[in-house]
Amino acid sequence: MAAIEVEHLRRVYRTTIGILRRRTKEVLAVDDLSFEVSDGELFGLLGPNGAGKTTTVKMLTTLLIPTAGTARVAGLDVVRDADALRGRIGFIFGGERGLYWRLSGYDNLRYFASLYHVDPAVSRTRIPYLLDLVGLQDRGHEKVEGYSRGMKQRLHIARTLLHDPPLLFLDEPTIGLDPVGAREIRQVVRDLQAEKKTILLTTHYMFEADALCQRIAVINHGRAVALDTPQGLKRLVRDLSVIEVELFGVGEEVAERVGAEPYVDSVALESRDQRQLLQVQTARGSEAVQDLLTRLDGVRVGKVTVREPTLEDAYVRLVGGGS
Amino acid sequence: MNLPAARAQWRALRSAAVIAFLSNVFDAFILFTLVVQPLVIATLGLWILRDSGQDYGIFVVVGSGLTGLWSGLLFISGNSITSERWTGTLEMVSSLPTPLPVIALGKVLANVLQSLTSMIGAYVLASFFFGYPLTVNHPGQFVVSLVLMVGAFVCLGMVMAPLFVTNPDVQRMQNAIEFPVYILAGFLFPIALLPTWLTPLSYLLSPYWAAVALHEASSGDGDLLTMAGAWTAMIVLSVGYLIASRFLFRTLLRKARRDGTLGMQ
Repeated sequence: MAAIEVEHLRRVYRTTIGILRRRTKEVLAVDDLSFEVSDGELFGLLGPNGAGKTTTVKMLTTLLIPTAGTARVAGLDVVRDADALRGRIGFIFGGERGLYWRLSGYDNLRYFASLYHVDPAVSRTRIPYLLDLVGLQDRGHEKVEGYSRGMKQRLHIARTLLHDPPLLFLDEPTIGLDPVGAREIRQVVRDLQAEKKTILLTTHYMFEADALCQRIAVINHGRAVALDTPQGLKRLVRDLSVIEVELFGVGEEVAERVGAEPYVDSVALESRDQRQLLQVQTARGSEAVQDLLTRLDGVRVGKVTVREPTLEDAYVRLVGGGS
Repeated sequence: MNLPAARAQWRALRSAAVIAFLSNVFDAFILFTLVVQPLVIATLGLWILRDSGQDYGIFVVVGSGLTGLWSGLLFISGNSITSERWTGTLEMVSSLPTPLPVIALGKVLANVLQSLTSMIGAYVLASFFFGYPLTVNHPGQFVVSLVLMVGAFVCLGMVMAPLFVTNPDVQRMQNAIEFPVYILAGFLFPIALLPTWLTPLSYLLSPYWAAVALHEASSGDGDLLTMAGAWTAMIVLSVGYLIASRFLFRTLLRKARRDGTLGMQ
């Protein structure tokens, strides 16, 4: 039996707009999503902002009721068996929210331990162990409001391990962290994986998914557009090369113009301070550079490089460069 | 529910109460609601009745204390839910093994017990600053009434909790019901002064019966039948509130999960 089974999951948000003539607006967040996660697997959900990753995790952790479809976690239905399921899973949502800032890290953990029904005798030894595990042993008795973002994230991880759940949902655990903080979190995730915990990780950092996940589902507009190992996903762009062109003072219209060229497989434009980086995937490799530069006539061009594709390029191809 | 499970729920309830107490104790707005506002109301009442020649002190103390208790319950509980919504902990605690009503019960209990300080403050003001002899003619009945009042306010708080949890616009609700309950429950003046068609509404509010019981126990004017009637009404209404609370928590939480309104709006 798989640890997580998701079948044709769908979630629609309904909001009303207008004051006198109220109209209902529907937003489709998750659309016919299906996947399975095996016991002890570290499975990644990868997708751009608004792809439906967090909504999926919220449905799997009983925070939201699916509009349609079914999901079973640890053999329990997320709607029908929600009460029984809650003690068997742990979850964190990226960011600093979800903690009591006026309390110390230790008091936060003590409170959540009681809500997770951890025996007081167990929590007396488990809380110091978890603070040590996430590197907060020296700051545990300070108020959370004085913690850095990374420390709060690590406290979240300690919180979710209080009842030692076999199944973890980590929703963008490294979002907004500096490189050192993100690396520390990734090490904690690796350690959890070594303990054979089943982990569903959502991220939009490709290298993170590549480094951690055994399999990845790429979702876009609520739908799974690919599901494979990181190596399998990279094979999708094996025959392509990536031309990176540094540009100055251009907008999305340039990407659209380049994207219309017949030799271009996909294109993405990324802003970096005053510069923009145009990333073009093409099967023609370096031969396409001259044609590309001709198409960019009139635009101030900086450095041009041609490189092998990465997982990020596979992702860009799958989500259409819209991230 | 077996004994270990019941003990685990009790520990969770107690933790929720402690967390609520620690969160409230240094909050300036809550201190204003519990101490300053009832004292202002008590001062006005005591000043107006100063030369009336009758012993109204205990009525003012009980009445202003009840206003503090009600406002405390309304604003501490409501603000705590709003704060939890904004900090993301509301969504978090609503999907844990401890049911949300247990957590709410712990918080409401702490809020009501803390709100009793408003009554103590009014007592100190009337006794020491205005020199009223604050005699309670039936201390035994007064203590029973006080205990039942705490229970009644907790049960009333449990009806409001699911409404606060599922309604992101808590502040509007708080402001809309604060003063009507002052008036309908007869905290400040007898409900006999109100139009008769409003009386049934007062009878449905347990704070009204709490006010009746405390006033009667203080003055010693009422007979045991009146007192027993007030106590019975508090108990019956509290049971009714708990049944309503269970229904509201179940239906509104399901709706909140369906609509996705537990998170920040």
